[in-house]
Amino acid sequence: MKQFLVLGVINGAVYGLLATGLVLVYKGARVFNFAQAEFGTVAAFFAYWLIEKQHLPYWAGDLLAILGIAIVGFLVERLIVRPLFTAPRVTLLVATAGVALVLIQLQFIIVGANAVQIGPALRGIGVNILDVVVSPQRLLIFGVLVILGLGMGYFFSRTDLGLAVLATSQEPVATELAGIGTRRMSSFIWTFAAVLGGIAGVLLAPTGALFPGFMTITDLLPAFTAAVVGGITSLPGAFLGGLLIGITQGLGEFYFGSSTIVRGAANLLVFAVLVLVLLVRPKGLIGREA
Amino acid sequence: MSVLEVRNLGIRFGGLQALAEVDIDVREWEIVGLIGPNGAGKTTFFNCVMGVYKPTTGTVQYRDEQVVGRPTHERVRLGIGRTFQNIGLVKVLPVMENMLIAQHAKARYGVLSGLLGLRASLEQEKVLKDNALEILDFMGLVDYRNAVVASLPYGLQKLTEIAAVLASDPEFLLLDEPTSGMSPEEAHAFGDLLLKLRTELNLTVLMIEHHVPLVVRVCDYVYCLNFGRLLAEGRPEEIRRHPEVVAAYLGEEHATA
Amino acid sequence: MAVRKKNRSKPATEIVSVPDVEEVDAIEEVREAFEAPMLPVRAEPGPTFAGWVARRGLLAAIIFGVLLAPQFVDNVRENMISFALVYVVIGLSINILIGYAGQISLGHQAFVGVGAFTSAYIVSNSHLSFWIGLALAGLTGAGAALLLGLVALRLRGLYLALITLAYGFVAQNSIFNIPALTGGGAGAEAPRPAGFTGNMAFVYLCFIILAVLMYVDWRLVRSKVGRAIFAIRENELAAASFGINVTAYKLIAFVISGVFAGIGGSLFAHRSTVVVSADFNFALALTFVLMVVVGGLGSRVGVFIGSAFFALFPLIFNRFSKYTGLIGALLLLLTLTTFPGGIAQQIAPILRWFGGAPLRGHGKSQVIQSGGAGVRP
Repeated sequence: MKQFLVLGVINGAVYGLLATGLVLVYKGARVFNFAQAEFGTVAAFFAYWLIEKQHLPYWAGDLLAILGIAIVGFLVERLIVRPLFTAPRVTLLVATAGVALVLIQLQFIIVGANAVQIGPALRGIGVNILDVVVSPQRLLIFGVLVILGLGMGYFFSRTDLGLAVLATSQEPVATELAGIGTRRMSSFIWTFAAVLGGIAGVLLAPTGALFPGFMTITDLLPAFTAAVVGGITSLPGAFLGGLLIGITQGLGEFYFGSSTIVRGAANLLVFAVLVLVLLVRPKGLIGREA
Repeated sequence: MSVLEVRNLGIRFGGLQALAEVDIDVREWEIVGLIGPNGAGKTTFFNCVMGVYKPTTGTVQYRDEQVVGRPTHERVRLGIGRTFQNIGLVKVLPVMENMLIAQHAKARYGVLSGLLGLRASLEQEKVLKDNALEILDFMGLVDYRNAVVASLPYGLQKLTEIAAVLASDPEFLLLDEPTSGMSPEEAHAFGDLLLKLRTELNLTVLMIEHHVPLVVRVCDYVYCLNFGRLLAEGRPEEIRRHPEVVAAYLGEEHATA
Repeated sequence: MAVRKKNRSKPATEIVSVPDVEEVDAIEEVREAFEAPMLPVRAEPGPTFAGWVARRGLLAAIIFGVLLAPQFVDNVRENMISFALVYVVIGLSINILIGYAGQISLGHQAFVGVGAFTSAYIVSNSHLSFWIGLALAGLTGAGAALLLGLVALRLRGLYLALITLAYGFVAQNSIFNIPALTGGGAGAEAPRPAGFTGNMAFVYLCFIILAVLMYVDWRLVRSKVGRAIFAIRENELAAASFGINVTAYKLIAFVISGVFAGIGGSLFAHRSTVVVSADFNFALALTFVLMVVVGGLGSRVGVFIGSAFFALFPLIFNRFSKYTGLIGALLLLLTLTTFPGGIAQQIAPILRWFGGAPLRGHGKSQVIQSGGAGVRP
């Protein structure tokens, strides 16, 4: 059981990172970004190409991959989000799903349907936590995410740019009057969200097989649930929500994972949490606007 | 007897007491005005009568029936018709479609019969259409039957809404600022229309209205709301001279009216 | 209450038939007062007799062309046509929900899948006839949609979209993998009904069922049911004020859409004769949405063309199969950002011509204005 819990926490940190990206976009554009997980997948493929094919050092490959996805995020904002600035939000939502589809199809064309592998960033023997052997890569993921979480907390509460981003999302008109361009902020928000997705992608890449759309399939739904549990507008809430969902999944896997009657029990549990939170407490469990 | 009898009506939204201790009576064949400054709770009162909001306290009785707790569509079927300040039509659809939507409750055929196009439904549809044409003809709107509502000038949209509500055969009308956006001439003409409709269709009317000359001319009785409470009630001339009403409402907006 | 009207159903008759001089003046006054802003109404002359013959003739030729198409193609292409027809059935189902009711569904593959597996189970495991399977597929599809409809009463817009997405995911990964019901990963067998085992015969079976559903869809729009659903989409408060039971008609929209999806699922299963859970993935759900959006939400003809196009396009251009998915997704983005009315908007002048109007350039048609970018919160 401990094993499932520890794995759950680490997976949860990834969900949390994706969820913060979702929250950021929601605050900026009042839309759910269905392409958020694909930002991660694309970054993972960038990293694979740079590290395995171009033989760049690990850190350089990852950095370039994140830079690449930042450009993708910027382009998505320019080409898709901006023309739909005044469209109904659900239209924009369908458009983000379309972006996800385009990215997945591009992966099929360029990489193909076969799964590829990327070596771990850190080699070595696993570390023993609570009698559970955790690979160095997973520890790295967790470490980076915690640092990133703290960094974002600082960015959004102490720096001018961070505060400006939050201001745009709360009072668009007033912000415009205060001289902060909501349109420029929109570019920043989508780029930043893509970077968050990208970081999750390059961190996750070495832990499993890479195939087109893999993060949308495994991580998008838990990330959304995390964001909703956190109240959809709270960045720390989203991060904590991620951990909660990760643990829920771990427990689901432990108790029902071997069931032959119902498959995918862990995901079923996540779905149950999502429906329950939305119907009973749509403000989220731990949410607070921040 | 009273058509509408509201007693001790109150509603709270969070910390805001939007309405409190409101008693309003509308008797058979009356045209009653409901006035008050913006934010006084007039539209909220309508929403309580129609069941859009559930009041925190009080009772709403329509003829013999207590209606608090019943959904809007059931209240409508008792014979209440309502218009909205910003026009309660489906603006992207043509006038004719709206006239048919308005007669929803009169369409006596089942959902399945409608989907399968059984004869009962087709015959009913024809009746509704004829009825709609008659009313449009009467209101002088028949030429616009195929025009999309949103494409019509505002005054005509208002008139179309009245036509649609009449198509649903109401006995009691709640009109929310029927003359907003109309010119004084149009508003005057509207007053005549209202009086005529009452005579011809035996209507009882409760209307929210800002246009004081119209209120004085057509209303039998007037209630004035301020900050969610009744400030005054009486005959239109009395209300017009009522010092508190003048101070709260007429004073700021219609001192010269 | 002695003074109540005697004839409640026809108030206008009373008014018009018993005019009183003074009252007629009042009406005239109203008319004059409102005449000022009135726009001149242009009376369009209808087409000539020859014009009608040309229109009806061409329409009949197109319909016959489509119906006879299976006669002139090979066995493989016949199978493609039935595939396209199944997609059109599913497209109609989505159009009812997104186009008419304005409720987004990103998990529509769940309803289709429920219908597919129901029908397969009834025919293979219960050894009952295909027709019973088809009927029950419609029923279970309706049930699955009704569940979602109950959720939609509480949630709207983006949140509903999220729930539908999750619903689809769970259906594919968990429900459709219950071995006792769906054969697990190996899938369920769904043999074609007797008399329709050949590809050609199956195409005509699809044509018949599609024709019935299109008739129902047409009556839906022209009856109080469709009008109530439109009214709720555009203005819930006004709809209720016209006596429409908002809760009931929202659920009715889900149920009708579910019946169509279930029937589409049944045809989907029996067309390919075996059905597996992997068929109903997220990409399929998105394809369903994008085919109706590109076709034109709210427009029956647009949905027909869009659905058939997205079904056939990867099959016909299978040499470029790598790119067909991408092109579809790009078409969606292009439609959303430049032509929200989709194909229906593009062909609106032609559709109006068939309806009797002269052939003119672009412009918004009634269909677009009522359906339009009907995806709204």
